[in-house]
Amino acid sequence: MKTLTKDPFNIIIAGVGGQGNVVLSQLIGNALVNEGYLVTIGETYGASQRGGPVMSHMRISKEIVYSPLIEEGTADIILGMEPSETLRMLGRFGNPAVKTIVNPRPIYSVDVAGGEAEYPDFDKLLEAIRGLSAKTWIVNATEEAEKMGSPIVANTILVGALVGSGTIPLDRKSMEPVLEDRFPKALALNLKAFDRGMALINQ
Amino acid sequence: MAVEAKGSRELFKEVIEAGLCTYCGACSGGCPYLVPYKGKIALLDNCTRDEGQCYGYCPRTFLDMSAISQQVFGVPYGEDELGTVKEVMIARSTGKRIKEKGQYGGTVTALMSLALAEGLIDGAILTRTGKDKAASAYLANSAAEVLQGAGSNYLACPVLETYNRTPKDSHRKLGIVGVPCQVIALSKMKQKPPENRPDIGDVKLVVGLFCTWALSPDGFYKFLKENVDLPKVTRFDIPPPPAKRFDAYIGTERKSFPLEQIRQHTMPTCAYCLDMTAEFADISVGSVEGLEGWNTVIVRTRTGAELMETAKKKKKLEIDKLPAQNLAHLKEASLLKKKRALTEIIKRSGSKNKLLYLGLSPRLVDKFLNGQGGK
Amino acid sequence: MPGFEIDAPGTSQLLMGNEAIARGALEAGIGFASAYPGTPSSEIMGSLAPVAKKMGFYAEWSVNEAVAIEAAAGASFAGVRAITSMKQNGRSVVADFVSTIVLTGLGKGGMVMVVCDDPQAHSSGNEDDTRTMAKWFDIPMLEPGNYQEAKDMTKYLFDLSEQLDSICLLRSVTRVSHSRGNVKLGELPRRKYKAYFEEAHDTRNPKQSKFVQNPPPPLHAAQHRRLVKAQAIFESSPFNWYRGPEKADLLIITAGSGWLHTQEVVKKLKLENRVGILKLGTLWPMPEKLVRQHLNKSSKILFVEEVDPFIERNVMELVASSPDIPRPTFYGKRSGHLNEYGELTPDIIIKAITGILGIPYQGRDADYAKKAEELAKNLVPKRSLALCPGCPHRATLWAVKTALKMDGRNGVTTGDAGCYSMGTGATGFFQVREGHCMGASCGIATGLGRLGQYDFNQPVVALCGDSSFFHANIPAFINGIWNKSNYTLLILDNNATSMTGFQPHPGTGMVAMEEATQVIKPEDLCRAVGARVEICDPFDLKQTTDALLGMMADNKGGKVLISRRECQLVKARKEKAKYKMHVDTEKCVGESCGCDRLCTRLFRCPGLTWDKKAGKSKIDTVLCAGCGVCADICPQGAIIKEEA
Repeated sequence: MKTLTKDPFNIIIAGVGGQGNVVLSQLIGNALVNEGYLVTIGETYGASQRGGPVMSHMRISKEIVYSPLIEEGTADIILGMEPSETLRMLGRFGNPAVKTIVNPRPIYSVDVAGGEAEYPDFDKLLEAIRGLSAKTWIVNATEEAEKMGSPIVANTILVGALVGSGTIPLDRKSMEPVLEDRFPKALALNLKAFDRGMALINQ
Repeated sequence: MAVEAKGSRELFKEVIEAGLCTYCGACSGGCPYLVPYKGKIALLDNCTRDEGQCYGYCPRTFLDMSAISQQVFGVPYGEDELGTVKEVMIARSTGKRIKEKGQYGGTVTALMSLALAEGLIDGAILTRTGKDKAASAYLANSAAEVLQGAGSNYLACPVLETYNRTPKDSHRKLGIVGVPCQVIALSKMKQKPPENRPDIGDVKLVVGLFCTWALSPDGFYKFLKENVDLPKVTRFDIPPPPAKRFDAYIGTERKSFPLEQIRQHTMPTCAYCLDMTAEFADISVGSVEGLEGWNTVIVRTRTGAELMETAKKKKKLEIDKLPAQNLAHLKEASLLKKKRALTEIIKRSGSKNKLLYLGLSPRLVDKFLNGQGGK
Repeated sequence: MPGFEIDAPGTSQLLMGNEAIARGALEAGIGFASAYPGTPSSEIMGSLAPVAKKMGFYAEWSVNEAVAIEAAAGASFAGVRAITSMKQNGRSVVADFVSTIVLTGLGKGGMVMVVCDDPQAHSSGNEDDTRTMAKWFDIPMLEPGNYQEAKDMTKYLFDLSEQLDSICLLRSVTRVSHSRGNVKLGELPRRKYKAYFEEAHDTRNPKQSKFVQNPPPPLHAAQHRRLVKAQAIFESSPFNWYRGPEKADLLIITAGSGWLHTQEVVKKLKLENRVGILKLGTLWPMPEKLVRQHLNKSSKILFVEEVDPFIERNVMELVASSPDIPRPTFYGKRSGHLNEYGELTPDIIIKAITGILGIPYQGRDADYAKKAEELAKNLVPKRSLALCPGCPHRATLWAVKTALKMDGRNGVTTGDAGCYSMGTGATGFFQVREGHCMGASCGIATGLGRLGQYDFNQPVVALCGDSSFFHANIPAFINGIWNKSNYTLLILDNNATSMTGFQPHPGTGMVAMEEATQVIKPEDLCRAVGARVEICDPFDLKQTTDALLGMMADNKGGKVLISRRECQLVKARKEKAKYKMHVDTEKCVGESCGCDRLCTRLFRCPGLTWDKKAGKSKIDTVLCAGCGVCADICPQGAIIKEEA
């Protein structure tokens, strides 16, 4: 087992209902459990599937089973599947040391379409995220996935990016069996997406 | 007094909830929020606009009689009980089928068929009754389709909804047959052309129907349903005075109701209406006292005059002079309606200077109030 | 991903709390499982049903929770281990039966009921605390404090249930059921059941069966004796433990999710030597001796539990009845140190502990916090829940709105539980005017529909889903017909229990174990009791509106309109979108008179967006499901549908 930079190591995966947040957290969580870590994942479920904000809280430890909820202001990494949701999470869980990985493709809410809310100016949004993060990686996961012909693999690209960031004790080898289990029929595509994510974050 | 910019909120407050709605349909059809149903305009959802055409074209929001008259006839609104008149006459259709189906002389049906045939219009918006005898408006594209609209049903019907629903980019020349409130709404549209609706310039012919009051599509329809076998009814009639009857015919069999009983079901707003003869139409058509099978026709515009001329030339209409006594009666009736309506309006507003929706000079108000029409 | 059912004893797997419970049931060798779906409990049966055939046990989605628990009891009476699971609302549905099975006891098969509570009501209409039921009905109850315990306790409860001859209860909460953690797997037994109802009538020895709750008082006394026995067992249960110093500045008594948070907080605050934690897993009956042993560890006691002060009151009761125990100061919900409603979070517990002990605590950097909170507040858009793109309910509710407004008598709708209950908000045009519980839509409508004698003339429309129709609306519906109540039942039939994950129900022709079965059509049932039934397609807005108007205008007899179209999420798995949508920007008039942004402002399908700069609507082609309904509502004919 590799050492953790912090115990517990706190990851928040932020997105919008329907994006596949839960699958993403399970992929990472399963790989970590296989490596022998104690992992807790708190998921938002139920009604929030329908277009609301969705987050997963992931705790990685060698010591105890941690709470499924992260204390406010103590996230180590925020993996943002959507930019404004990344900022929402920074507002509650950010701290001067937090690192963020952001898929910049916005998803507008019905409130934005309805006119009661406004989607922020994109540059301002990224500036806010950068300003609140010790380090920010912008990973055009949706765009890359579309190039690969399958928007859904954006999530695997993000997993690749998270692993490639070197912040969590996982590597390609530890992800392979998990991807194989999850995507038996589309393994090649997902491995490609994973590698693309790793490459993107190290550009 | 300028026309205030108001929207659906005020339309509801000032007109619909105030019981002044005529069910003309001017507010609906071009709007996803306002829908006519069973004699009432329903507001389906909240429109946030402060200014709406619904309010602007409503015949029961501010109506500047002089400005409208200027727009339609190029002259200010005057003292004539019948409005601006080129000529008054009587007419009846020469067509056998029209005569069978039409009310009185079948003049309207003949005129609309002719306008279609002559290319003055490409389509006519008319009212027809279904098997259940409920009234609905429709767009007739041929003489045969025009014939479906022959005959009167006396039920208020939102004809202008159908007009507003015609595709706005089709630029078909249209003729519309309507009662006075509908003709007023069309005149308001001519004054300030609609947006996101059919081009008012495409309305080439407006034929108005004489109207003393209309019956509620909800209350009166229920009354009819309870009292006659509606699907079997072939014709409704309110014979000219002094009959004081409402007749429903099943073939030759007649079922009559005292007019007083029927009047309980008139649209309340009709009490506030000054216009009996559709004063802003190209041609206005009604019945004639004592001359069964004939229509009274008031020709008001050049378009109207030309169409009547063609009808005469092509022998579509048999035309004659309106006897002087009948003309006097017509004027008397028209003035009576003005007088009664003004009295009701003043009763409701509490002042001669506040006439609800009506913009009419004090001189004309006094003239109509003191007119020798009342009995 | 590795399934929760894999035969790999000793390995550690990442399991969701509900999967761990299902695993515990497998390790206990259950022969029967039954449930009605309900978040956060659905994944228990959701895990069990797909493996039932393979593992050789029986599993069913039942028509409702009451039937589910009764079916499970049937299995127990015939010697088969049975589990039934539900959410806290379902627990209220089963209450009548539970109050009697505690009197009779079980057959030879152990029986466990699992109730998943939903503190904070993340996906519920209430946040009831089930634990009171254990006390109310004398049921032995455990609550897992982590994922391993979720599995282990479930397995253990079957043994206990058989030992005590009593139904046993496992109480879980959202943050345990719906989170994941490490679980070390145990053995999977291969049990062969020979089901037999031993209390069959014997002509040579005629006597009343054991399974009759008569006479109740002695049976009640017998249940009390079972509890005494349970309490004795719980005194040494491995599910209870103490961590901390012999003398502590503060003793925390906790259970369930409270343990997960508390353990972390005490470690984080480095208070392991000052604060002791008594974690209870056996909550009812409370192991009083064990608790007494620990009460003298501190003069300050804090209770950390979700939702009600259950342990808190039980300990107070114990102290009040034990003059020999020195009176400590109690902290918890009653003292206001913890919330009496909503869920617990580590933050709340940090505040309570540091407050009681007077320890200063600095969270994240204050300047950072201020900046982060402000930026998030100013920039992050509100993100309301919405019915999915292509959802048939949106179309039905649009037609409901149109029909009620056209009718003009201020018609009212009563609601039930399902996706369409989002119709209480903007996504359903605020059309659902009442919302309580499963089955209440017809019940409440029945009452409203009988108020004619008091000048009530508002038309009443009862809304319920297909699954909720079968669940508990049928008796209420029959009541309405029997008592000549005037209302229209509108069944939003999307052929699935969608809110909880598309479970089958009697109308779908499928059972939990993925076998075809007879389709029970709501229309057949309604017609059989004499109702007039019409069926419409919600995507035909005019047809649906007219049908509803027609029914509302008719004052006689039972009236049922079935708005039928498959759930879009289910449909999307099988077939592609029907239409390709786009907006003709020439025709779109945006905010002008004649539209006022009807589609994005009011219809609010997530597939529609508003291009503020251009003042035109747009289709989000990624989200759009291609249902074509927006083309029919557009007043300007600007939304164009083309066959895809």
